[in-house]
Amino acid sequence: MNAFRWWRGLVSAFGLLYLLRLLLPLPFANEVIIFSIYTIGCNFLLGHVGLISFGQPAYLAVGAYATASYLYYFGTNPYVGILMGVAGGLAASLFVGPFFVRLRGDYFALVNLALAVIVFYLTQNVLVAITHGDNGLLIVDRLSRTPVLDLSRPNQFFIFALLIAFAVWAFYKYLDDSIYGACCLAAKINENKLRFLGYDDRGIRLLAFVIANTTTALAGAMYAVYLGFVSPEITSPARAADPLVVTILGGVGTLYGPIVGAVVYTGMMDLASKFMSNWELIIGIVLVFVMLAGEKGIWGTLEPRLKRALLSPAAGSRPIKGASR
Amino acid sequence: MIDAHLLTSGIIFGLSLGSIFFLMTVGLSLCFGLMRIISLDQLLYYSLGAYVTYSISHATSYVWLGVLAGAVVGGLAAFAVERLLYRRIYERDITFSMITSFGMLIAGIGAIKYIWGLTPRPVSVPITAEVDILGTLVPIYRLVIIGAAFVVYAGIWLFLNRTMVGKAIRAGIENVEHVEGLGINVYRLFAVTFIIAGTLSALAGGLYAPLIMVDPQMGLDVLAFAFMVVIIGGLGSIKGTFVSAFLVGQVVSLGSLAYAPLAQMAPFAIMLVVLLVKPTGLYGSPLLKR
Repeated sequence: MNAFRWWRGLVSAFGLLYLLRLLLPLPFANEVIIFSIYTIGCNFLLGHVGLISFGQPAYLAVGAYATASYLYYFGTNPYVGILMGVAGGLAASLFVGPFFVRLRGDYFALVNLALAVIVFYLTQNVLVAITHGDNGLLIVDRLSRTPVLDLSRPNQFFIFALLIAFAVWAFYKYLDDSIYGACCLAAKINENKLRFLGYDDRGIRLLAFVIANTTTALAGAMYAVYLGFVSPEITSPARAADPLVVTILGGVGTLYGPIVGAVVYTGMMDLASKFMSNWELIIGIVLVFVMLAGEKGIWGTLEPRLKRALLSPAAGSRPIKGASR
Repeated sequence: MIDAHLLTSGIIFGLSLGSIFFLMTVGLSLCFGLMRIISLDQLLYYSLGAYVTYSISHATSYVWLGVLAGAVVGGLAAFAVERLLYRRIYERDITFSMITSFGMLIAGIGAIKYIWGLTPRPVSVPITAEVDILGTLVPIYRLVIIGAAFVVYAGIWLFLNRTMVGKAIRAGIENVEHVEGLGINVYRLFAVTFIIAGTLSALAGGLYAPLIMVDPQMGLDVLAFAFMVVIIGGLGSIKGTFVSAFLVGQVVSLGSLAYAPLAQMAPFAIMLVVLLVKPTGLYGSPLLKR
């Protein structure tokens, strides 16, 4: 029973996401899945560890460029490419993590945003020999066909992305329920007490930072393979707040918030770009309104009601795990 | 070996760049010190100041009038934004001010694209004369910018240390509740600080406009430098901002004499080193959230 409860939410969420494909065009569904993987790291950092990560595009770009450079210069297997992207993200976050996790919240946010801008500049101007600047790396022709799931075809990529997303969510759910998850939450709420209890708060933060940013790099690697093209646009400073906005739109710290947020945000952007070419104005205004609307977000408001409606009173009395702001 | 003429002009260039950085980021730093908000929309007032300077100088052919009008418009825009938006988020977490102001910056860039279009606009230099310093010809206009930054620094120092409102602002930076307890209207102080910040940012944009092309992305282009300046100097410290603005300006300017693409990256390395030694920046106070 307990094991079933553990999986029930995950299976139904991804079942719904699969059904989404029947209703909406395939590119939209793919975009939503990658976007929600992109966001969950940020959601974990903000909601469970209390770190405002404004620099997610940096790690996204690292993942995307690691994958794209592997596929462009060395191999052709997209699976190996994605692994390279994840490894690149892991290396990058291990490199900057020790510097960053020592910082106070506000500095952490600013330094991360500065990193995102620097990575944008690096890919656009400095490492032109590797990244080809604004022209980007075109890898769509180089992807080799793989036997089981052929990633160069969007409908099979969708299955792959869904499986990966399922694994990522199961992992984050496991993290939430583990002692380590509790430590993260404690680091957010009161780090002095955590230190007093004998835990190493910096170590906890560093691990969280590395986990979250490696997930983001995974999303970047998937973007690279899915689009078959990477350009500095991926880390454009104008889109730096996207993951944070989706996190807050969906509900900070909730498990399914990123998916709900990604569906709504991507949908909004798609609709907006149909009517207006000036998307910056729209993103900006949406951002301001999402911020003013409140902290709970869509899923944060819906979840308690859904639980009450769906579960029997006895099951509904189980306290909701995870963070609440 | 770098040639002496190149070095002199490099230093002057760095000083003027540092002056612009200082004017641009002092508002960010002041706002953080008093209100504990990160006001990224200062970079919007910077672009706005440059665009108003372009429009006015184009219409009347007086660049200085344009700079003045730009500063006034920047101040007014800051006042409006403070009244309409920041009032609602002062009490919230710092995340909210940061994302909200970022949203305003992006929306403002969209609005600028809508009003002035995408093409970069030139602004003519008001003073074309050059002066001889150590055998190198240096444009007087750059010296004027450097002078402006020093005047503003002195002005802010006098304002904060010699006037009643300034002293109240300094007290507010230390402890807002106590200032409120003394019967001072803190929200009025916040508004005053915000207007000063917006005016100075717009002034930076207006002064810098003749030296660059005014284009919609100019606010985002300097984003990284603005952050690095405030982080190296320490958030909330005027002196720290002043020092680190000139440091970053020199590093960028002299670094580009050595190897241009990496010059833009060097401040980032400095920032990492400073943060490693002192996580709150050079002159940042160790105080946490109020």
